[in-house]
Parts: sequence; C-alpha cells; structure tokens
Amino acid sequence: MVGAHLVLFWLSLVAYGAEAGLQLGGFRPASPLRSALFGGLLLHALFLGVRWVLSGHAPMAGLFESLTVFSFCTALSAVLLCGTAGTLSAWKPLSVLVALPQAGAALLDKRLTPLYPALDTPWFSTHVGFSFLGYGLFAAGLALSWTYLRHGGDEVYRAAGKSALYGFSAFSAGMVCGGIWAFYAWGSYWIWTPKEIWSVVLWVYYAALSHLKFLPPGAGWPGWGRRQEMWATAAGYFLMLATFLGVSLLLRSSHSF
Amino acid sequence: MIGAGWRFLTSLTTFAWVGLFFCVAGAAGSVVMGRYPELFSDMDARILLDWFARKGFADPGPTLWLYGLLLATALLALNAACCTVDRLVPIFRGNVTLHRVLPHVVHLAFLGVVLSHLAGAIYGDRIPGLAVPEGGFVPVGETGWVLELNRLDVVTAPEGYPRDFSAAVTLYRDVTPVARGVVRANEPLFHEGYGVYLKRFGPTPRGVPYAVFDANRDPGAVAILVCSILFTVANLLVLVTARGEDA
Repeated sequence: MVGAHLVLFWLSLVAYGAEAGLQLGGFRPASPLRSALFGGLLLHALFLGVRWVLSGHAPMAGLFESLTVFSFCTALSAVLLCGTAGTLSAWKPLSVLVALPQAGAALLDKRLTPLYPALDTPWFSTHVGFSFLGYGLFAAGLALSWTYLRHGGDEVYRAAGKSALYGFSAFSAGMVCGGIWAFYAWGSYWIWTPKEIWSVVLWVYYAALSHLKFLPPGAGWPGWGRRQEMWATAAGYFLMLATFLGVSLLLRSSHSF
Repeated sequence: MIGAGWRFLTSLTTFAWVGLFFCVAGAAGSVVMGRYPELFSDMDARILLDWFARKGFADPGPTLWLYGLLLATALLALNAACCTVDRLVPIFRGNVTLHRVLPHVVHLAFLGVVLSHLAGAIYGDRIPGLAVPEGGFVPVGETGWVLELNRLDVVTAPEGYPRDFSAAVTLYRDVTPVARGVVRANEPLFHEGYGVYLKRFGPTPRGVPYAVFDANRDPGAVAILVCSILFTVANLLVLVTARGEDA
C-alpha cells in the first residue's frame, strides 16, 4: 500500500502532462470538468488523502510533498477561477504551471517520512495548507494575466483580479495560522529569518496590488491601467516562487528544506 | 500644507510606493542578515528594543534595511489609519453597508497587529538559554522565579529520531511552588504572562539528561491574536459580500 499509493501520484502526473500536451497542441477540452486536468486533480486528491492516512500527518512536509501540494493547489485554482467559457483560454499556461511542479516532485525522494514533534500540530496543516492555496491562486493569476496580456478579455481580467484577492486572503490566513503556531512553539508570533521576511514582502506586494485596482487610471501613477496591473499580477508569481523555493533552498531559515 | 499632507497620508499611491519600498528593503535585509551573523544572529533572543539598543546603531551600513523596513511599516500603518478615518466619516454620513465598512475593519485589525507588535517589542521580555539538568534548578532571569527540571522524557523511534519529548517542570518563587506542568513542543507552560518553552535537550558529559528552556513574555500577544482573527474574518467577509461584483 505504501508503494502503491504512488501509482496515484504518477497517474495524476500523466493526466497533467496530457492536459499540457493537448493544450500546447491546440486541443481544448469542451469543459473543465471533461478535461484531463480535472481527472488529474481527482487522482491527485486521492493520492494526497491516502498519503495523509499512511503517514499520519498532512502531506506537506519536505520538498516532494511541498511541490506536489503546490501543483494540486494550482490545479484546484484553475478549476475554481477558470471554469467559464471566457476564461478557458487561460488553461494553456495553467496546464503547464500545474504540470511543472508535479514533474519536479517526480524527480525527488518520495518515501514517507515521520513528522518531527514540532510539526505535529493542527497549525502545521492549516498554516501550510492556506499558504499553498494562496500560492496556487497566485499561479492562476500568472496564467490569467498572461492570457489577458495576449488576448484581452473582461472576464479574464476579472478572474485575474480574483486570483490576487483570493490568493491574498488565503495567504493572510496562512500567515495568521503560522503566527499562532510560532507563538506556541517559540513564544513569539514573529522571528527574524529570511522566510518570514519574504512572506511579509509577498503579503505587502499582494496587498498593494489588491488596492491598486481602485486607483483611477492616470491618477497618481500616470500610465497605470489594466495592462500594468496584469504585468504586476504576473510578476507576483515570481515573487511567490522566490518566497517558496528561492528562500527555502538558498537561504538559511526556519523553513529550509 | 495640511491638506497636502493629509492627501499624501490617505493616498493609494503612497501605499503603493511605500509597499514597494518595503519589498525592496525586506529582500535586501534577508540577504544582509546572512552576511552579518555577528549583528543579526541573536535578534530573536531579545526583544527588538533591547537588540536595537545594543546593535541597532553599531554599524549603519548593514542595518540600513531594517530602518527602511520599520519606517515603511510605520508609514503603511499610518496610511491604513488615515485612509480609514478619511473614508469612514462619509460612509457613516451616508449609506452604511457591511461591504463598505468591512475593508476598514481589515485596516483597523492590521493597525492593531502592528501596534501590538510594537508593545511587545518595547515592553516584552525574553530570557533565552535556561539550561538545567534533570533534578536541577536555574533562575529565570530577573523574574524572581527558579525553574526546576523534574523529569525529561524522550521517546526515540527505532530509526533514532526523537518521536516525542517532554519536560516536567516546576516554577518556584523562593521555596514555594507557583506553577507546575509538562512542557513539550508547541505546549509551553504559561505563568503570569510568561511562557516557558522547551528549546532543546540532550545528555550532559556525565550522562545526566538536561534541557534548555526559553522564557518569553509578550504583552501584545492577546491583542495580536484578537486582531489577527478579526483581520482574517473581516477579510473573508469582504470576499463574501463582494461576490457577484468585480474582485
């Protein structure tokens, strides 16, 4: 059973890869619910559920589980935000953004690992879960803003705005859960490590982005408009990647892999 | 002049520029911190005011980002407060709806979190590195308490990693026990505003188990918790009340 559950992981990767291949080849599903990506999402959910039962903890510890949960949350965001006919064009970049972290996870050690006692708390799954949901929504924001910049469309623009706002809200909830956990673990809601600093940087970035929507075009920031907002939404994805992977892999912090 | 200052403080553009400045200062700081461990490695061992008094003015170059970050945080908080004052007055004079008020509840909660952190950074207390062998005693900073480690329990998995660990401790004032409990990961012992946290453990060279504790007090802790929850709830309600409208 321990090894068999990985079959679900590989099947979901195949489904995500098929979706990306079909999209890049110019084939689009008739509806999101009849896509390979949706099938992959169901298999992926099953995989994560089985792994949770087998390991006895939320499958969000270590680089393999982090990448696969990131991929899952990106796929979930695709279904949540891009389920209408007007936003289906964003599925092409989204399918790639879903498949890439899952493919990256496929290269890593997938063994079940025990949970260090400090991580054995409900705050672990809520903190990491909400944070990754935010990351997934930010990834959907990149796909949607990219689509808007290439093809335009009011519906795509609105969905991109939602990705930033919903992502900000989910990420905020993740930070609150992380702060409460830190207080019980260390006696402080905040510690000075690169990961914490970058998390707040990402939070402030999306807070600013969510507010700039209300800036009248040309007022204060000449030239600011929908296209600039979409560029900023796309840039947020790379800031998120720097926070998620860059800091955790390159800088010494409480969240290092 | 006053009008221009008020427009500056309530402006979205100000928020955007200060937010951008915050991002740059934070990104720079995350790199600089690693390059100057002699300056920054003990930032969490003390409250920020104490750390600033000892090292904040020692070397202006490597600490410049921190000044920038704190200045930007202050401006962001001021901007949120002024924006809310500026907008709430017309809202309450006109059509008061949850959808119009909620963003300002989010602002106020954010302001509460920042001010509570400030209180903790000034009036808090951190006593790190209370090392004590099993059966031994250690004074807890200047609190007048003495901490006794009654028993250290470590459950080791066959693979060799600690599966669970806990420390039974007693706090004394003079010779009178004032608090007793079991401390483990994520489960500190709280007493009179202080939390006693188990940081690490091991055997002494003589083979006696020992544990190292931190004792921290954060007077802003409850307010931060309340404001954080208020922020989250108000933020989610903003999304709910905005359904059907543009994000």
